[in-house]
Amino acid sequence: MSCQRLKDWLDERYDFEEIASIAKKKLVPAHKYEIWYYTGGIAMFLFILQFITGMVLSFYYIPYFEHANKSIIEIVTKLNMGWFFRSLHHWGAQLAITVLFIHAFSTLLLKSYRKPRELLWISGFILLAISIFFGLSGYFLLWDERAFAAVRVATGGAGNLPVIGGFIKAFLRGGIDVTGDTLIRFYAFHVSILPLLTLFLIGIHVLLVQYHGMSVPLSQEKKALKGTPFFPNLFYKDIIIWLLVLGVVVSLATLLPPEIGKKADPLAPAPENIKPEWYFLFLFQTLKLFPGEIMGLNGEMIAIILISCGILFFFLIPFFDRKSNAGEKSTVFTWISVIYLLYFVIMTVIGYLT
Amino acid sequence: MLRKILFACAFMLINTVTLWAQQETIEVFPSAPYDRHIIFQCLAFFWMAIIGLVVIVRMKLKEIERIQKMGIDRENKDIPLLD
Repeated sequence: MSCQRLKDWLDERYDFEEIASIAKKKLVPAHKYEIWYYTGGIAMFLFILQFITGMVLSFYYIPYFEHANKSIIEIVTKLNMGWFFRSLHHWGAQLAITVLFIHAFSTLLLKSYRKPRELLWISGFILLAISIFFGLSGYFLLWDERAFAAVRVATGGAGNLPVIGGFIKAFLRGGIDVTGDTLIRFYAFHVSILPLLTLFLIGIHVLLVQYHGMSVPLSQEKKALKGTPFFPNLFYKDIIIWLLVLGVVVSLATLLPPEIGKKADPLAPAPENIKPEWYFLFLFQTLKLFPGEIMGLNGEMIAIILISCGILFFFLIPFFDRKSNAGEKSTVFTWISVIYLLYFVIMTVIGYLT
Repeated sequence: MLRKILFACAFMLINTVTLWAQQETIEVFPSAPYDRHIIFQCLAFFWMAIIGLVVIVRMKLKEIERIQKMGIDRENKDIPLLD
């Protein structure tokens, strides 16, 4: 069948002209903060990259504790371009989480969560949490000393939550301690449960963006804004940015391939100076601030409760910020957002340097 | 002479002992100089391709913006039909 015949065949059945006219009619507001609109597109592009490289790696990875570490060594050392795909997957994950944090904080500072976009904020926040869990579960699949110790600390920390902590810890570990069962569980999360949840949530998130349109910051709302057509103008700009991001990921993957540590031994003590992945450093550093015991109570438990309260408040900000919902300037929540951002950045830097 | 040989042997032994004790590192990047050269060359070509594509897309975008500014991209409602 020639291209024209195929096109005619499809045109008879589907109204592509209508779809194209919708894309052309869609306008994106043009203002001085429009650069932050691109972070969502970059995150989606990186997710696609992660899906592709993850699928390639899953052909060769063996999710069994005896072979997991060895299978990664074989992917890196024996397979043609194996090192590159593994490195691409690693750096894609790092950049995706970085971009998601930037996307979340830009949404917070520009008050894009305000009415009627609360569900957009909620779906985005859950996507960020899923991405972090993606990172942790993927890190554990290495089955090396550091990953093993990091998961033991992370799941142990979750276990300090009152009432539900014990259940979460046992559910994540698949037992009382981190074992080969945990590896199988994390593998299932990493390759089936989390990707399905991510696809579902991305679908909802994108649909909601289309439904509500792009959010305009309060300071720009009163100005007479011009709209830029999404197609082709914004679409081409997105392509330029995606190409540059692809270049950065490929360069990082080539120049800084991630190391593989010694195979984990569940009976061995944790290695010295252990640090979690960078996106957990602010939590790790916060835990360090608390003494072992506060007024006879477990200090770590108090820290975990306070951190959970902080995260819950962050999650529910659209419902607390009534001024922004009413279309008024909300200085208090701007300061709260700045404090959250500074705390995250400062604690991450201190955790990285110490 | 014998002294020198003995020193050399002792030196060699000490070095080999440290090599045995050394933790095995896994090569996460091809170590052969030829492979490295090819990889870095490919990376340079990759960036050249990206820059080329970016330039082309930017040119296309500028042309679209020029046409939009002129207003000739919009459909004329009263256009006479030729057929």
